Amino acid sequence: MNDEEVERLVRALLGELSKRDVSALGRDEDLVEHLGLDSLQGLSFLAAVEKRFQVRFPDERLSALRSVGALVEGIGSAKKEPAA
Amino acid sequence: MRIGLIAMSGVRVHNPELAALGVSLPQFVSRGKVIASLPSLGLLTVAALTPHEHEVLYREYPDLPSAEQELEHFDLVGISSFTAQIGEAYALADRYRALGVPVVLGGLHVSLMPDEAARHADAIVVNGAEGAWPRLLQDLAAGKLQPRYEGLRARVFEEPNYVLPRFELLRGRPYNRLTVQTSRGCPLDCEFCAASLRITSSFQQKPVDKVVAEIRAAREVSAQPFFELADDNTFINKKWGKELLRALRPLGLRWFTETDISVADDEELLELLAESGCAQVLIGLESPDSGSLASLDPHNWKQRRCDDYLRAIERIQARGVSVNGCFILGLDSHGPDIFEKVRDFVTRSGLIEVQVTVQTPFPGTPLHGRLKREGRLLAEPYWDRCTLFDVTYAPLHLSVAELEAGMRWLFSELYNEREFLQRKRRYMELMKRRF
Repeated sequence: MNDEEVERLVRALLGELSKRDVSALGRDEDLVEHLGLDSLQGLSFLAAVEKRFQVRFPDERLSALRSVGALVEGIGSAKKEPAA
Repeated sequence: MRIGLIAMSGVRVHNPELAALGVSLPQFVSRGKVIASLPSLGLLTVAALTPHEHEVLYREYPDLPSAEQELEHFDLVGISSFTAQIGEAYALADRYRALGVPVVLGGLHVSLMPDEAARHADAIVVNGAEGAWPRLLQDLAAGKLQPRYEGLRARVFEEPNYVLPRFELLRGRPYNRLTVQTSRGCPLDCEFCAASLRITSSFQQKPVDKVVAEIRAAREVSAQPFFELADDNTFINKKWGKELLRALRPLGLRWFTETDISVADDEELLELLAESGCAQVLIGLESPDSGSLASLDPHNWKQRRCDDYLRAIERIQARGVSVNGCFILGLDSHGPDIFEKVRDFVTRSGLIEVQVTVQTPFPGTPLHGRLKREGRLLAEPYWDRCTLFDVTYAPLHLSVAELEAGMRWLFSELYNEREFLQRKRRYMELMKRRF
């Protein structure tokens, strides 16, 4: 899966979970600020991304994954997890 | 009349070593900060009880001019305060009264210490403002202001007593959390509790349609606020609780409340909690073993439930609803081993969030009365030290120094970066099971 495809899927997931239109969201825009996510919503979203892409982000990187761009990059470099 | 309603907010820890820890381990005061940043629902209710011919302005203490600057002009000032800030509230009241502006004091502390408060006010309101405030305004207009007004202790959510809080007074302020109250009181009646049960005659629940109307009104002020239910124990009545949750479900909210461990008893309720957008429930676990919970409440309810704590936490969190488990240090049964016991329980429990505070004898509570009778209060008044982190009494099986040092140790064990990351990861794994 290339980066564009990953980004498309990340946006779809984000729109589904936040119930907001995220099509105009900039690639580097802060998701927490832009969508008004609380900390648990942010973690829920990261959990959904991990599950969808079967990856596990390093725990110490979680707080840095706050934009679509950072997520696409993070998915690319994260450790693959076996499908549940 | 131009009426200024002033909410005191912001609580500081006095113990310098704990204050320093608060800087290096900020998570340990996070809940306190959230509470301090919430608008005063009580004053928004007072505003709604005010006839329309008066102009009402809502202010928060940090926004006021400093002691050297001129105070904003009002024809009447109403002040509501937590115990820890009551000294500053009194000082502000004294300043306004020195200018000839009548001052009314109200809120929980004032209700529990009316004689003390009356020395700083032209009038005080005890209990809720319902049933008192409109009468007070009439008396003031007639030049017959009384020194004390008794608000209702029952039927506050019934017509004609009920009013919808004036959330629109918050417009333009940067709140991302708003409060709505669904109940007052709590039948558990824990010895230390200084919440709304002290100003109610019995447990009262708001009709669900009124709760929904308040949420809709609050949303007109802030588009996507996180809601805090300003309750002491929301789900005492499971049937009513389910009715509430079914009404919240279609609203697309994210919200938080305080309740007790019995919420885990009902599978349907738990499912509705998750479906209605409940992000977190705060539960007073108080202590990790049943032996230490004896006599905390009149029926030893918490002691009887303690052995089920771990299973209950798991049942709630398995729904993706995080539990903020609260512990109180310095109960009479606590010895030097309590700090490790709490740490071990938290590790075993998988709690997503933890709140640890020191037992605090708030004025007017049975705990305060007992410790006073036993000669164990360190110095009175100590209201500015009612921060939930400062020790104000002599513990039974610990010295004050041991309690303070143990608390600092426990904070550093629970609120460090590693633990924080582990809790984040735990929550994410829980959520993955939900997707």
